Amino acid sequence: MSSKSDAKQEREIKIVGFLCNWCSYGGADTAGVCRFRQPTDLRIIRIPCTGRIDPLMIVKSLIQGADGVLVSGCHPNDCHYAVGNFYARRRMEVLKRFLPYMGFQSERFRYTWVSASEGQIWQQVVTDFSETIHRLGPNPGLHQTVDSAPAVSWF
Amino acid sequence: MDDKTNALREHVKGIFSNLELVLGWEPGYDPLHTRPFYVRTESDIDRLTANCLSVHNLTRYLAKSMNAVDPAADGRKIGVCVKGCDSRSLVALIQEKFVSRDRVYVIGLPCRGTLDARRIRALVPDPARIRSVNAEGDELVVETDQGISRFALDRAIARKCLQCRYPNPVIHDVLIGDPVTPRLKIDAENPSVAAVEALSLEDRLLFWENQLDRCIRCFACRNACPLCVCQNHCIMETRMPKWLTQYRNMNEKFMFHMIHALHLAGRCTECGECERVCPVGIPVALIKEKINAIIYEMLDYESGIDPEAVPPLLTFSPKETGI
Repeated sequence: MSSKSDAKQEREIKIVGFLCNWCSYGGADTAGVCRFRQPTDLRIIRIPCTGRIDPLMIVKSLIQGADGVLVSGCHPNDCHYAVGNFYARRRMEVLKRFLPYMGFQSERFRYTWVSASEGQIWQQVVTDFSETIHRLGPNPGLHQTVDSAPAVSWF
Repeated sequence: MDDKTNALREHVKGIFSNLELVLGWEPGYDPLHTRPFYVRTESDIDRLTANCLSVHNLTRYLAKSMNAVDPAADGRKIGVCVKGCDSRSLVALIQEKFVSRDRVYVIGLPCRGTLDARRIRALVPDPARIRSVNAEGDELVVETDQGISRFALDRAIARKCLQCRYPNPVIHDVLIGDPVTPRLKIDAENPSVAAVEALSLEDRLLFWENQLDRCIRCFACRNACPLCVCQNHCIMETRMPKWLTQYRNMNEKFMFHMIHALHLAGRCTECGECERVCPVGIPVALIKEKINAIIYEMLDYESGIDPEAVPPLLTFSPKETGI
């Protein structure tokens, strides 16, 4: 088990953040304007709405080696487009429960709701998620070759 | 010739004048296979076959046949033979409005399990010499040049059939044969999914990598899937957006199967066609079965049961609690 500092020395941790334009992106901006100290691991991709999130974007990020994926949008009932995050909520919850089945650590993916005024909460969310990812260490990614694998019998 | 085939032919003869065509099966190129068959004329009816080798999910061809309506058909319906699992695919197609219910005449065939040609070949020493296979009760009778051997039927039927929960068609205009008792209860845990979940997280990754490493991306699983309806717009091949490259590595193979599985989330009816057609024997349907289990647990929804229902990931409920 590598300690936090060891993991950091191996390579820089990179977290992909998909933030909705109307709430969480604004919330991150508020946190910045208020000069709250935040971890530097997050790379933000601005999306119009969490309803735009295709779960495949998250899977692709993890397969390509992102250490963590954070999706954040407006609180349910507060979506700028009224219902986008209701769709997103179902999709992301299914994905979160599905990831461990394929052998991914589901802790590397988190979805959350942060509004534009909640700079303080944004700071907590991003700090907490970043700490989780540091504890897990870098994403090892997929093995390119498999020498021996466990057998599963279902008959 | 068995009773089921006879009964099917008799029934189709009686109603054929009201139908444009009937989708069924005919004997295939060897004793282990049948093939999909379009009954277009009265004389074709005698080639119809329905037995434990009628593996194909014919609803795959239905949406296509509907688009190519023969003007001479003057509103006659298209007949389609469905097993229990196939009928669920048909319901899903009706839900998503690819097939209109009043254009199809559904011939339901209760099913005791379809044979898996791969498993039969593994049973006998010289599979090339098989002359005929037949299911009699709980036994599989294999006739080869050397003589007749008998095996337990469960050793030769497909994985999806061993855990079948819907052997009887959920919708039908006519039912040919007696209803069959399901092997598993509707809310029973999926045994193959449980077998994978029994592994540790690291082992699960290795298990899937080992399986998916064999993938040659022939896209047979996608092409056989009755619910892969995007056809030429499949994101597997589009360049804008570019989801997959032609590189031959684990990332691409894994991603391909994630795309297939997640596009079927809440829609897959577990007909097992993807797994049957896989030339390298990847348990492709096993990925989708887990997603179905999640959706059943989370949203209490099963695909392909109620033609009026909306697939759960295409809708929402403001009341449910997320984070």
